[in-house]
Amino acid sequence: MKTAGDLQRFYDNELLPVLTDLEKRRKAIFRNIVIAFAVVLFVAGAIGACSLRSQGSPTALIMIAVLGIMALVTIGMFLSKGFIRDFKISVIGRVAGYCDPNLSYLPESYVSRAEFESSTLFKQGIDRYRGEDLGSGQLGKTAVRFSEVHAEYKTTTRDSRGRTRTQWHTIFKGLFFIADFNKHFSGRTVVLPDTAERFFGRFGQTLQNMNLSRADLIKLEDPEFERQFVVYGTDQVESRYILSTSLMRRILEFQKEVDAPLHIAFVASQIYIAVSTRKNMFEPRIIKTILDIDLIQEYVEDLQFAMGMVEDLNLNTRIWSKA
Amino acid sequence: MSGLIILIIVVVVLAVIIFTMYNTLVGKKNQVENAFGSMDIMLKKRYDLIPNLVAAVQQYMQHEAGVLKEVTELRARAMGAPMSSDDAVELNNQIGRALGGIMVAVERYPDLKATENFQQLQRSLNEVEEQISAARRAFNASVTDYNNAVEMFPTNMVAAMMSYRRRHLFEIPDAEREAPSVKELFAQ
Repeated sequence: MKTAGDLQRFYDNELLPVLTDLEKRRKAIFRNIVIAFAVVLFVAGAIGACSLRSQGSPTALIMIAVLGIMALVTIGMFLSKGFIRDFKISVIGRVAGYCDPNLSYLPESYVSRAEFESSTLFKQGIDRYRGEDLGSGQLGKTAVRFSEVHAEYKTTTRDSRGRTRTQWHTIFKGLFFIADFNKHFSGRTVVLPDTAERFFGRFGQTLQNMNLSRADLIKLEDPEFERQFVVYGTDQVESRYILSTSLMRRILEFQKEVDAPLHIAFVASQIYIAVSTRKNMFEPRIIKTILDIDLIQEYVEDLQFAMGMVEDLNLNTRIWSKA
Repeated sequence: MSGLIILIIVVVVLAVIIFTMYNTLVGKKNQVENAFGSMDIMLKKRYDLIPNLVAAVQQYMQHEAGVLKEVTELRARAMGAPMSSDDAVELNNQIGRALGGIMVAVERYPDLKATENFQQLQRSLNEVEEQISAARRAFNASVTDYNNAVEMFPTNMVAAMMSYRRRHLFEIPDAEREAPSVKELFAQ
């Protein structure tokens, strides 16, 4: 168990030199962004004032404001890209090693789209798939892989004036976690957040039963679990073999701790967990100083949250035929 | 004329509803049979493990020869002549208890416990026990589903016409629910 003292030592001995160098770069970048902001503001203001005098309509002003903001964001991203990458490799890489020497971290890798789709958790066709911050390794007896994933689909609409508008909708955004499960099984079981039963009660269950895109509905005995989740599986007995009473309890505890939508799938003797967090994890700060142990503490907590799923779901207990 | 058409439509709709309910009840009854069959399959898996277990353990556990003999006999009875389901359930519960007793007794033989053969068997046994438990849960779920259909309105009316009755859930007897008393087992 890592203590606050361990973290302080790690911070002082290993991170501080790296952070100090990066802090210098951060300050330079921040200064450049402020300058860019001032320049854009000035230019936009000037153009705005001119157009206001010549046309007198506010729509041009709004368009200029929007363009100005877009320019700022692009400039900011361009300036900080190298910094973010170096920060992740040198700082978060070390933090990963500190949390567990068996854990490796790759900032620009992520769980592949094929793996994401093989979980069958999200049936919507994906039009854009991005990710970052891949952690992988062997934690005890369990091989794990996890990363941030952002999957979206698009809708194109034609408005009355014939212009097409493309809108992007999020299918899933958050932490996607894959691990070796501790039991052998051959079918597929899927645990989804239960909205129908919460709204419609018993009738909700009838609706869930009629869901054609999913396998058979599995009704489990734990009433609290049933309220929170709906389970579909290809084999009634196998799904119950996987979802033992103790695993159901653990999943409920985990749900309470996480307080975000949880989608869990059991496919090909692996467990897939999708946690829809809104937070973008493992990002450096540009505006505030990075010489801050609380920032490092946050990275540690986020990593331990991802790694903790192994312990929380008891995946290292290997008393069945799968070693 | 239109009154007749309405009447026909009502009758047809009612017939469709009743047929659907009839089919639902039959489906649920068959699901119960299916689940019962699954329990049987898992129990048979356990029978298959017993000879291996007895063979692996015999040489080490000379004092426990009595329990080993008992479990072998129970298995022979289970695989032999068919019996009433109550008797079958009782027999399987006895087998479960006997196996539990053996696994507890093994704790006194660290040499045996360390052998890879035994560890493999222990894993397989754990797995089979969990699968039996899963099959029983699945059975209870399908019985609950069936009982709900038989007793709830409006399917209860159709069920009464078909003479479908409530079925019993699979219950674990109190004796088995208690963890085996180690003292008692050692005294045997």
